[in-house]
Amino acid sequence: MIDPITLEVIWSRLISVVDEQAAALIHSSFTTVVREAGDLSAGVFDREGNMIAQSVTGTPGHINTMAHCVRNFVVPNYPIDSLDPGDTLITNDPWEASGHLFDLTIVSPVFYRGRGVAWFASTCHAVDIGGATMGGDARSLYEEGLAIPLMKLFKGGQANQQLFDIIRANVRVPDQVIGDIYAQEVGNQVGARKLIEMLEEYELADIEAVSAQILDRTEAAVRDAIRGLPDGIYHNTISIDGFDEPLTIACEIAVQGDTLRVDYAGSSPQVDRGINVVLNYTHAYTTYTLMAALVPGIPNNEGAFRPIEVRAPAGSILNCTRPAPVSARHLIGHFVSQPLLTALSEVVPEQVIANGSAGLWNTMMDGMDANGREFAYVFFSAGGMGAAHDRDGLSATAFPSGITGVPVEAIETAAPLLMHRRELRVDSGGPGQNRGGLGQVMELEIITGAPANHSCMYDRTGNPAQGLLGGGHGAAGEVRLSDGSQPHPKSHYVLRPGQRVMLKLPGGGGYGAPFERDPQRVLHDVRQGYITVDAAERDYGVVIQAEPTTIDKEATARLRRESRK
Amino acid sequence: MSAPSILLAVDIGGTFTDLVALDIDSGRIAVEKLLTSYPDPSPGVLEGVRGLLDRAELAPAEIRYVVHGTTLITNTLIERKGVVTALLATAGFRDAVEIGNEGRYDMYDLALRKPAPLAERRLRFDVPERTLADGRIHLALDQDCLRRICAKLRAEPVEAVAICFLHAYTNPAHELAAREIVNEALPGVAVSASHQVAPGMREYPRASTTIANAYVQPVADRYLERVEAGLQSSGIAAPLNIMLSSGGTTTVAASRDFPIRLVESGPAGGALAGVHWGRLLGQADVLAFDMGGTTAKAALTRAGELVISHQSEVAHVHRFKRGSGLPLMVPMIEMIEIGAGGGSIAHLNALGLPAVGPESAGSAPGPAAYGAGGTQPTVTDADLLLGYLNPDYFAGGDIPLDCGAAQAAFAELSATLELPLERTAWGVHQLVNENMAAAARVHAAERGLEIRRYCMVATGGAGPAHACGVAGGLGIRRIIIPPMAGVASAFGFLTAPIAFDFTRSYVSRLDELDLGELNHILAELERDGRRIVEAAGVATADISVRLNIDMRYVGQGYEVRVPFKMDELGERHIAEMRREFEAEYRAFYGQLADGVPIEAVNWRILISGPEPQVANAVFDEGQAATDRPVGCRPVRFAPDQAPVETPVFRREQLSASWSAAGPGIIEEAASTTVVAPGWSARVAAGGCLLLTREDAQG
Repeated sequence: MIDPITLEVIWSRLISVVDEQAAALIHSSFTTVVREAGDLSAGVFDREGNMIAQSVTGTPGHINTMAHCVRNFVVPNYPIDSLDPGDTLITNDPWEASGHLFDLTIVSPVFYRGRGVAWFASTCHAVDIGGATMGGDARSLYEEGLAIPLMKLFKGGQANQQLFDIIRANVRVPDQVIGDIYAQEVGNQVGARKLIEMLEEYELADIEAVSAQILDRTEAAVRDAIRGLPDGIYHNTISIDGFDEPLTIACEIAVQGDTLRVDYAGSSPQVDRGINVVLNYTHAYTTYTLMAALVPGIPNNEGAFRPIEVRAPAGSILNCTRPAPVSARHLIGHFVSQPLLTALSEVVPEQVIANGSAGLWNTMMDGMDANGREFAYVFFSAGGMGAAHDRDGLSATAFPSGITGVPVEAIETAAPLLMHRRELRVDSGGPGQNRGGLGQVMELEIITGAPANHSCMYDRTGNPAQGLLGGGHGAAGEVRLSDGSQPHPKSHYVLRPGQRVMLKLPGGGGYGAPFERDPQRVLHDVRQGYITVDAAERDYGVVIQAEPTTIDKEATARLRRESRK
Repeated sequence: MSAPSILLAVDIGGTFTDLVALDIDSGRIAVEKLLTSYPDPSPGVLEGVRGLLDRAELAPAEIRYVVHGTTLITNTLIERKGVVTALLATAGFRDAVEIGNEGRYDMYDLALRKPAPLAERRLRFDVPERTLADGRIHLALDQDCLRRICAKLRAEPVEAVAICFLHAYTNPAHELAAREIVNEALPGVAVSASHQVAPGMREYPRASTTIANAYVQPVADRYLERVEAGLQSSGIAAPLNIMLSSGGTTTVAASRDFPIRLVESGPAGGALAGVHWGRLLGQADVLAFDMGGTTAKAALTRAGELVISHQSEVAHVHRFKRGSGLPLMVPMIEMIEIGAGGGSIAHLNALGLPAVGPESAGSAPGPAAYGAGGTQPTVTDADLLLGYLNPDYFAGGDIPLDCGAAQAAFAELSATLELPLERTAWGVHQLVNENMAAAARVHAAERGLEIRRYCMVATGGAGPAHACGVAGGLGIRRIIIPPMAGVASAFGFLTAPIAFDFTRSYVSRLDELDLGELNHILAELERDGRRIVEAAGVATADISVRLNIDMRYVGQGYEVRVPFKMDELGERHIAEMRREFEAEYRAFYGQLADGVPIEAVNWRILISGPEPQVANAVFDEGQAATDRPVGCRPVRFAPDQAPVETPVFRREQLSASWSAAGPGIIEEAASTTVVAPGWSARVAAGGCLLLTREDAQG
């Protein structure tokens, strides 16, 4: 038994060791997706593959899937005692790792005094993995690129040259992809070295006892939080746009004592487009959402996952079976957060937020620039988040994804595009006692004088974010060309010179009845231009008079009184 | 009469105003410390100056120049006490400061708050105009519309206007024209233009910086005017220079244009002092570590110089969460700041494990041992219980410490943890050390620096007591405890050269550089910089010019800063730029991306005067050196061992030849140095204490 102070000191050190692992990885990585968007995860695991600590970088889709991969896939196939120092494993199996072929999970055992004591692992998004297309167009996994079954990347410190050759021959930018693989290996080795220094400094033989206590304490804290919820079944179902036709995500949360089970039975079947989600990824966003709502101060490790069970019917959109295409699985996977939070609102209304835009809007333009060079540019944008019990939703903020956006000046410097505007979208926040976050409006034009291909990956055009507990829904998204036509929100079309495309990103849902919103806050929103005078009257029952902008108290009282009848 | 030989530094902190006078001929130093006056710190400055001159028997005419640093700007931003500020933006982009980077700084916090822009939306205006990424004008500035907006602003209590147009850093024509119109239409209103305040790509941080500059400008203006007038009324005719966050100093006039560059000037002084003492003792790789009452700050050198960053934040929603502040794009010495100080409170975290900070008991009520009403266990209380601090000689005896109160504060924590009191106190001491070491370790790892090779320079009230512990966790084997650690920042100001830098974003692939255009830009930057530095009294012959180019492979999001010799650039330099970039890139990332074109993004010109010659500075306390301990007390150095009887020294009684093996305690009024077992200490150059791990070389 380790005393709590020593435990905390050693554990703080473990967290700093994984942060150093991530820093070394980022530092040696070549690609912006890793360096700028932080699209990676790094973690340390005990002998048995239990994730003990993760770095502060990363997205839930990477961290929690990596935890599953090491414990349930790597360790059963390659127990640590079957490996040697200098061995490193790699895989990108979507079902066992993070849900699509782009993500490479690289895992290295750590040996100390002749015995395997821990693992370091990281998952990074490769810039390219071969295959026919980017996006959700593929009809099966085989079109989506190179699959790497779990195997040795290094053996006794020697690179598996055949595997490197295969990767090099299959991807479009081999130097970057292979460079990042080495960066992941560098990160793992730095982690291993720092861990051994720590074992020496604290005179420990291994981290088993520390791991057991950390996981047990975390598990106990999560069980305490679950026990605080009344036993029962809570459910919710949402509709989202899907690829060609709407999809349903149904969730049922069963709380019993100190355990919690989430079942997605009733969700749509898998489709023949690359938006299917593997169970592992569904699990990752489910546990992430539950932890953010129920135990936000608790560290994310294997102990936190133990009390939570996640199910989805095999063959459904949230538990697709091989060889379903999965490349753009995040388009759907991010949405599991939405019905989960709504279902939980029945028991912990102050710990959840209303539905929001949820899926990132993913814009890709490619063509020839004015100098005849090929260009391709991708950027992500966020709509509004849902409101909470005590505050308005955040405008133009990504949730549940952890990415950050790109400045207009960076976009225009890198690609021959002209952004005519990018501003908050007035009246797009769902009305409520607390208003949903605003979406944004962008207007884009191509300035090469030649047409360009615009690939859209936009959701919530047909299914806006619903409000919570009486709150209204946010505005639905919209894609419209200057000639009035509306391109398919999940396909591609040709943007002609002189033509503009307008993207109106969805707003977040409101929380509580809008007619209960403090009229002063409504007035504030009108003054700041977040809502119009018309919306104030229509949605909130607050009559605003102009010059100076003030509340017409009598008319407001009358309107609000009448609404109660 | 010879030339005036006194340099005077004035550092206004949140609690204290520190003054240091250095005679550069004799090396003699005089210091003064007094409480900062509120809400206007200028009376305190003047009182301090008069007090210092009187005590040191100096005449105002002996002062060569005054360097002044202040937290006023930072506090104005944190407390949001600037003026009502409007933004003029390219039509369609007035929300850039509210949309921000679209991210969340804490993944698990559903109740996250973001920092509100300093200009509210109703005061952010769309101005029809457009410049393209390459600087070409796409849409002319709509001057009539701008005049209508100004007319509207006249009806508002707006005192400052920020102008931020897209791509203004490539072509400032529209911002300049708009500025003129606003000046004309709104006389008396402070105007900040983005291409001058923060001339770099990325509209969100640029607009945020420009608004922040405008927001504090009238406040800074009034304040600097009062300080300048006050000094003159004290008979000081010497020039007043202002400390910048970049580690240089500049004129009052230039700081009035760019007050945002004064943010964090105090900590910059601390870092400069660290480098100074390191150099004096022959150490180039320095970790300047300052631990005070609520926070610990650290700065690292790279190749012997402090690292300057152009991406920072101010006025955080969560003080120690990266990403929760308003972004600033001004040159600033890169700092790590964590919530660990003497007042940091120990508590139990969500897992029932002990944690320290970031909540702090501050200076009021302060740690429980102060006996001023604090009841929660703090780091200072732990240090007292372990025997590190002398209850009768804390702050030189000004603050008597109450051991009983410290024990009472630790009683509950130690009972919950089922551990003895001293074991708990030791744990809190060790935890806070580990937190600080972890922050420094990760910061170094992010920059590819080998922290073990570094020499720590420890300052601040709590720094010298924690130095061995933190150094141990980092594998560092040398620690310098400089003299007069209590006024380190102010002393650091005196080591700063007069310097100013200007940046221009000019994005181009190296193989497509327009050298004519580029040389024109660089000449312009150099001219502007020289004007400011010469105005501060630097002779033309003493000016040095340095060029740094931010370069990257096309497609990358981050640049590598490459120092380049300043010259009229010709074709032959392009190959050189590529070579320099590749050398720097390889040092940073280990490998090159062969075949990918390289582009230059930002061109930064640093104009500076000579570094002041302060190497002979000596702190002479004028006391008899005995080199003998003043006593002995039991001190705890390990969790499970009995306390060790440890000799206690007074720093002012140590001669230049003193040395001793640890364990030992060296007390002085401003701090207490703990020499752990396994370390030894000696007095080194300049009155520094040098602590070395016994197995360390040299």
